[in-house]
Amino acid sequence: MSEPITRRKILVDYRIRVSRCEICGRRYFPPKPFCDVEGRRSRIRYEDYFYRKGLFYSGAVIRRPTNRFSYLGSFISCIVEFDGGVRTPGRITDIVPDEGEVDVSEFIGREVVPRFRRTYVDGESGLIYYSSLAFSFADDYYEYREYKPVKPSEGSEKPGIVGYGVYIPKFRVKNANPAMGGGVVERAVPFPDEDATTFAVEAGRRALIHSALDSRYIGKCYIGSESTPYAVKPSASTVIQALELGEPYEDGFFTGGLDTQFACKAATDLFIDAVALVSCPLFKADYVMVIGADNSQAAPGDPLDYTVGAGAAAYIFGKRDVIATLDHYVSYTSDTPDFYRRDGEKYPRHGGRFTGEPAYFKHVTTAMKTILRRSGLKPGDISYVALHSPNIKYPVRAALSVGFTMDQIRPGLVNRYLGNLYSGSSPTALAAILDIAEPGDRVLLVSYGSGAGSDAYIFTVTEKVEEKRDRAVSVRSQIENPKRRYVDYATYRKWKEASSV
Amino acid sequence: MTGKPYAAIIGAGRTRFGELWYENPESMVVKAGLEALESVEKGLHRADIQACYLGSFMYQVTNKLGLVPGYISRELGLNIPMSQTEAACASSSSALHNACLAIRSGMYDVVLVGGFEKMTDRYGKIVDDLMFAADPREFDAGFTFSGLYAAMMARYMYDFGKGDDRCRIALAQIAVKNHQHAVNNPYAQFRSRITVEDVFKSPLIADPVRLLHCSPISDGAVAVVLCRPEIARRYTDDPVYIVASQQATDHVSLYSRTSTVEIKATRLAVGKALREAGIGLKDIRLAEVHDCFTIEECLFMEDSGFYRKGEGWRGIYESIESFQGGKHIPYVGDGWEVFVNVGGGLKADGHPVGATGLRQVYECFKQMRGEAGANQVDVEGGIRYALCHNIGGTGGIANVHILTREVTL
Repeated sequence: MSEPITRRKILVDYRIRVSRCEICGRRYFPPKPFCDVEGRRSRIRYEDYFYRKGLFYSGAVIRRPTNRFSYLGSFISCIVEFDGGVRTPGRITDIVPDEGEVDVSEFIGREVVPRFRRTYVDGESGLIYYSSLAFSFADDYYEYREYKPVKPSEGSEKPGIVGYGVYIPKFRVKNANPAMGGGVVERAVPFPDEDATTFAVEAGRRALIHSALDSRYIGKCYIGSESTPYAVKPSASTVIQALELGEPYEDGFFTGGLDTQFACKAATDLFIDAVALVSCPLFKADYVMVIGADNSQAAPGDPLDYTVGAGAAAYIFGKRDVIATLDHYVSYTSDTPDFYRRDGEKYPRHGGRFTGEPAYFKHVTTAMKTILRRSGLKPGDISYVALHSPNIKYPVRAALSVGFTMDQIRPGLVNRYLGNLYSGSSPTALAAILDIAEPGDRVLLVSYGSGAGSDAYIFTVTEKVEEKRDRAVSVRSQIENPKRRYVDYATYRKWKEASSV
Repeated sequence: MTGKPYAAIIGAGRTRFGELWYENPESMVVKAGLEALESVEKGLHRADIQACYLGSFMYQVTNKLGLVPGYISRELGLNIPMSQTEAACASSSSALHNACLAIRSGMYDVVLVGGFEKMTDRYGKIVDDLMFAADPREFDAGFTFSGLYAAMMARYMYDFGKGDDRCRIALAQIAVKNHQHAVNNPYAQFRSRITVEDVFKSPLIADPVRLLHCSPISDGAVAVVLCRPEIARRYTDDPVYIVASQQATDHVSLYSRTSTVEIKATRLAVGKALREAGIGLKDIRLAEVHDCFTIEECLFMEDSGFYRKGEGWRGIYESIESFQGGKHIPYVGDGWEVFVNVGGGLKADGHPVGATGLRQVYECFKQMRGEAGANQVDVEGGIRYALCHNIGGTGGIANVHILTREVTL
């Protein structure tokens, strides 16, 4: 597909844009500028189905796909019917059909929800195409939440987190020997049509739903990742377009954004920038979105290959309706070459045992101790600690060494079941804590990025946390979701490779 | 009452359908064209042809060809007006429609109509290429052509079959019937009999569609010679007249159409064609129908009006179950009997997409003149009217032609 065709398709397919005649109510997909019935009298309005549910109208199990889709093996293509009768084509994602004949009629009438996924990829060097015309069944793994923006409160408070969203893919691989993964028992695996950008969109969508914030109020979007699908071309612009972040103008948005890279702390490093921006009079917007998203990479057979996971966590920072104020901040950096990937290389390399003491432990404990000292707080004043977790041993050892207890650490140790989410690791740990935190709780977040540095933040949870809780898809619910599915190591590798092209 | 015909068919020729490894697109057209010319009993010279109407779908992709008229000009050694029509699987019937209009306009007396497709030159890519006849968003949803028809079939079985196994069986019996019809067709790609069991055991292509529900990938070409009805007897004592040439269109995309279990373009084009010919459906004794997938033949039997919507499968099942033996299996209904796809249809004769529409006309021409040899259909009272039904894509276009030997000029 050429670049201009791609651009035109983006404007329709990212949001499932439909035109509706205000006179007779007829809807059209793809949208058209007039109504067949009303003709020149048509009054056309555009709407989108990005947050809506549809119904499986009909479909087929594609066994002999086109070459473009051979990366998916067998899959289900479908026609989806939305409210008002408008239909779109689509593909059911995250399902691997049985080898025997599947009775398609059993799908007819079931509710489906749009997911932002890759359609296909133009080889190793061409464009990657995305669309929301991929669907999952509403009663499958992904819990559906309505998006109902409410008007932000008046006035301003101390800045902090307004809302968050975590996205973990449906599939998992178990570690046959958890000791090989440093205590990681199972890990999230991307379906072949996912990548860090699709994770970011899904996490961002959940953050908007959780915060109940109109996406047009967001003025900046940072995406921290070390697995963005393009070396040059921002994931941020895809996320901004898909989530419609910022004031719309023509077919773009008045918002800024960029992808950031600092190994696994590419997102947390921006938390302070987000808070600074919303406090800056020059920055006209009131909210900033920061997403940590990674389709974590490891060479086959490398020790990391038994720890890497996949997923994203998105945070919205602002000064109104804050669920956790940001109270203290420290960042510590040194040029320590413990883990790296040269441009053009597929997999990262690391310094083995060197990644421990002089890298992770030195930076994490320095940041942790410093933020406690500067804030005048003691470990006992903190309710929970969320740490970057490349495995289970490291965060536990680091936190215990500074004087924290297992009760403070345990709620954030979600990587045991998700694997290392790289840039999404400590943000997901923080989300798992916010899922259960009570007003008044203090939460310490400590990230770590190889290369190397560590950010430490102390948040205080507010009463708003409870008001928004029902809208969150909790980390725990994703870990324990009975609809999650396990794949074997070979499938995990195959899908990892497909989602990394 | 039949009105004035558009044109008379005075000759027809075709190649075998199948994997024609040693043919180029233009060499196939020339073979079919020469056979068509030579079939004109009282003789016709190349120089008598005043214009050419050609139909093909994917030549630009399969053979990196453009400007088809230029190729055919070189091969025929003629410098006459030529045009090339693309309407997916309905390309050559669209060319025929244009040729009918041209003859009726009085512009030309004699024209050659050709259709061709060379699909096997794109082994490994043809499944992708065929999606040119669908909406790009259907491609992006992962659909293949068999997948789109499978979505129609799945919805049809859901809406009308309602779990009755006879519906599933009827949609397999269509393939069994069409294979039987091709056994004596020397040009057919598949001349082997199959059973319902074979269909259900064949590999899954796009559930519920299995391999033997599908028409094949084929090469082939067909040509017919048309002339003004008034001068037809200069060339043959037994012309076949085109008394209706009708076309209807609908959305290219299956998903945006009103119904996925009806081909609206078929319903409209058949209705218009019957009115134009001044006949009723019961007058049609032979129908060459677009059966790219068996569900499509079933939909035709309903959309044309032979069976009521939703009851086609039952009519087909009962027709085949009550068949008393013979070469060709008719469909029967209340006071009517029609033979459908007597040469094997797209299913067994083969489906070089741009040649198919004219292949239907070729089959009717030969059958009506009693020239079908071992495959001659035995119709009680003879075939007064035959109907050709050719659609493009999943129903984005339908062309219907009605042929007869009996006209008053």
